[in-house]
Amino acid sequence: MRSTPKYLAAALVMYGTAAFADEQAQQFRDAFLDGSAGWDTVQARAKEEGTVNLYYWGGNDVLNVWMDRVVAPALEAEGVKLNPVRITSTKDAIDLVLAEKNSGKGVGEGSVDAIWLNGENFATLKRQDALFGSFAQLLPNAVNIEWDQSDSRSLLNFRDFGVETEGKEMPWSGEQYVCAVNAARVEAGDVPSTFEELRAYLEKNPGKFTYIKPPHYLGNTFVQAAIYAHNPDGNGAEAFQASLDEIGAAELARLITPGLEYLKELEPLLLDANGGKPRYPEDNAALDGLFLNGEVNFNCKFGLYAVATGLATGTYPEQAQEFIFPKGNMIKNKNYLAIPANAPNPAAALVLVNYMTSVDSQVSKLKNVGMPAGIDPWKLSDEDVAALAEASPGHVGVDPAELDANTAPDTNATLVDVIEATWLDYIERGSDAPIADIVARAAENLNK
Amino acid sequence: MTQARHDTMRRRERLRVILQLTPILAVLFVLFGGALVLAVLQSLGFAPWFGVNTFPDFSYFGALWSSTSFWWSLGLTLYYATVSTVIALVLAVLLALALIKAFPGKTFYKYLYKLPLMIPYTVGIALAVLMLSNGGMLSRLAAFAGLIDDPGQFPQILKTHYGWGIIAVYVWKQVPFITLAVYAVLLGIGRETEEAAAILGADRKTIFFRVTLPQILPGIVSSTLICFAFNVGAFEAPFILGGGFPDTLPVVAWRYFNDADYTLQLQGMATVVSIGLVSGVILFAYLAAYRRYEMNMGRN
Repeated sequence: MRSTPKYLAAALVMYGTAAFADEQAQQFRDAFLDGSAGWDTVQARAKEEGTVNLYYWGGNDVLNVWMDRVVAPALEAEGVKLNPVRITSTKDAIDLVLAEKNSGKGVGEGSVDAIWLNGENFATLKRQDALFGSFAQLLPNAVNIEWDQSDSRSLLNFRDFGVETEGKEMPWSGEQYVCAVNAARVEAGDVPSTFEELRAYLEKNPGKFTYIKPPHYLGNTFVQAAIYAHNPDGNGAEAFQASLDEIGAAELARLITPGLEYLKELEPLLLDANGGKPRYPEDNAALDGLFLNGEVNFNCKFGLYAVATGLATGTYPEQAQEFIFPKGNMIKNKNYLAIPANAPNPAAALVLVNYMTSVDSQVSKLKNVGMPAGIDPWKLSDEDVAALAEASPGHVGVDPAELDANTAPDTNATLVDVIEATWLDYIERGSDAPIADIVARAAENLNK
Repeated sequence: MTQARHDTMRRRERLRVILQLTPILAVLFVLFGGALVLAVLQSLGFAPWFGVNTFPDFSYFGALWSSTSFWWSLGLTLYYATVSTVIALVLAVLLALALIKAFPGKTFYKYLYKLPLMIPYTVGIALAVLMLSNGGMLSRLAAFAGLIDDPGQFPQILKTHYGWGIIAVYVWKQVPFITLAVYAVLLGIGRETEEAAAILGADRKTIFFRVTLPQILPGIVSSTLICFAFNVGAFEAPFILGGGFPDTLPVVAWRYFNDADYTLQLQGMATVVSIGLVSGVILFAYLAAYRRYEMNMGRN
């Protein structure tokens, strides 16, 4: 429905322009990726290109203002005009890149220069071979990021939802799944730190919790955390780092069954369920509204500094606090900037990504937008670390060390699709089929 | 000589008609027809741009139609569409009948009732959220007045499967539209037949059902057709104000499109084509029934 006119347009364009590969762009790409074109060449070409089209989720007003007021002038100084394209869903940009690629638009001929993404969206572009190449370590500001594989802390730079990044996207921001509680409505002793305590709380206070509906990634993440915590082998996230092919559907079903059963039992205790079907908000804006309005007492989402910024902008209730939940399974990941293979202004895109990973822009982003640094602090000078610490909006109610001590990695992107499909079937549609069957079917659909 | 001239004139006339029709035909065939063909192709497994090409493959329809949730969604879609169209029709006919009478402030009122026509659906939805939701004005006022302890206790109007929010928005927006159509017909037919019936001793109920209603039926049918077709295919209101799973069919289709798993887009296309089929069949049947009625009445 939504995308048909796009494909049609793409098909029409295809007949118009045929497949003239932009040879200059092709040469530039090859020269940059094999290291023969230096950063000077990139900067000079970026000036010629003049514009960079950054596609990103435009739902955060503070971020939008930051793009216009901070990023745009900084790029202006490099002779590049920032064209921020604010989309309602990152997938729109992926759709566009793929539609253009499949209509024969090759290197230098598309319309998207850079995308803010992670997880399944990156996995899709990578699977469809629609990425510019392994550029990340070639940027001057790559020094701010850990690329030493022997350091386990580098994992977030090499793996995005378990998919190897291969330097085809550059870390931009770090995130952690953090829950907030409205302290005005929940006594300190009642704040849960495990899923069992959450259920006990809801049995006494039914309806005061809900989570965002999968397949929204924030909902998927809550489901993953529940699955980690109920892992029958007791090794939490560890079992979920391998791909579906490596694990196999039967084993995956065994691993996720206790977590899904817990979520099914939790359902009648969620918002508006009254023992029946609950109301799941569609996105974080909807959940924020429920939380602010006192309809629910908790708000779980990716947002290391969400409470501090929420209090500052008034989108969180006055006594909102962070708390550690679920203990040991707070999912931490990074999000990235990727350059599509058919970026019309690849050099300008490289300049943009390089700027975005500079210490200055990271400090400014942290301070103004409250988005955690994507660069790795131990790679920076003491001065820069101090600047980042100073810029941090801070934590409300928890010790940062505790947040660090309870992290868990993301689930492999291939498993995310299956877990999401299983949630939709087992929980939302209330399927009677055994989880093993649902997982097998979902896995089969995925490989079709 | 005259015959030749006559022919040229006829040819010219035909050329002009073709020229007049071309723009709209081009739009219909290229944009609408093209999209329709692509939608049907995709729903039958043709999507090489995602690396999927199993055309012709009826499994997407099979999977869709064999799931119970599809039939729930279909029922829900038809329920919202029918109830809101019927309510809007009743209110609109009453309004149109009132408008042909003279009353103080009529000129002002004739402008006032058309206001929702100029306001987009999305704004109507936003108004519903602001007023009727659990965080809305009414719930906050009720909490402030001490009727309830917190706004969350306000009775749920939006986001339920009764769909009062959706129906309210559709009715609010479509009453003026149907009124406009019916009112125009009423003005055209004049009041003589009604007066004649009254003189012959018919009561008000008989006059309405035997005289007025048959005369305004063309206006009613054309405007409710448009409203019903819109209501079946509309996405925003059920998405924002709906009760979650099971969703209406357009929302189901959107969920498939929006999933990170690209192969689900074909399932989404099958959903879209199903919506088209269902609404096409219903509208065709409605129109056929109306035609038959007209023939029985001796009109055509």
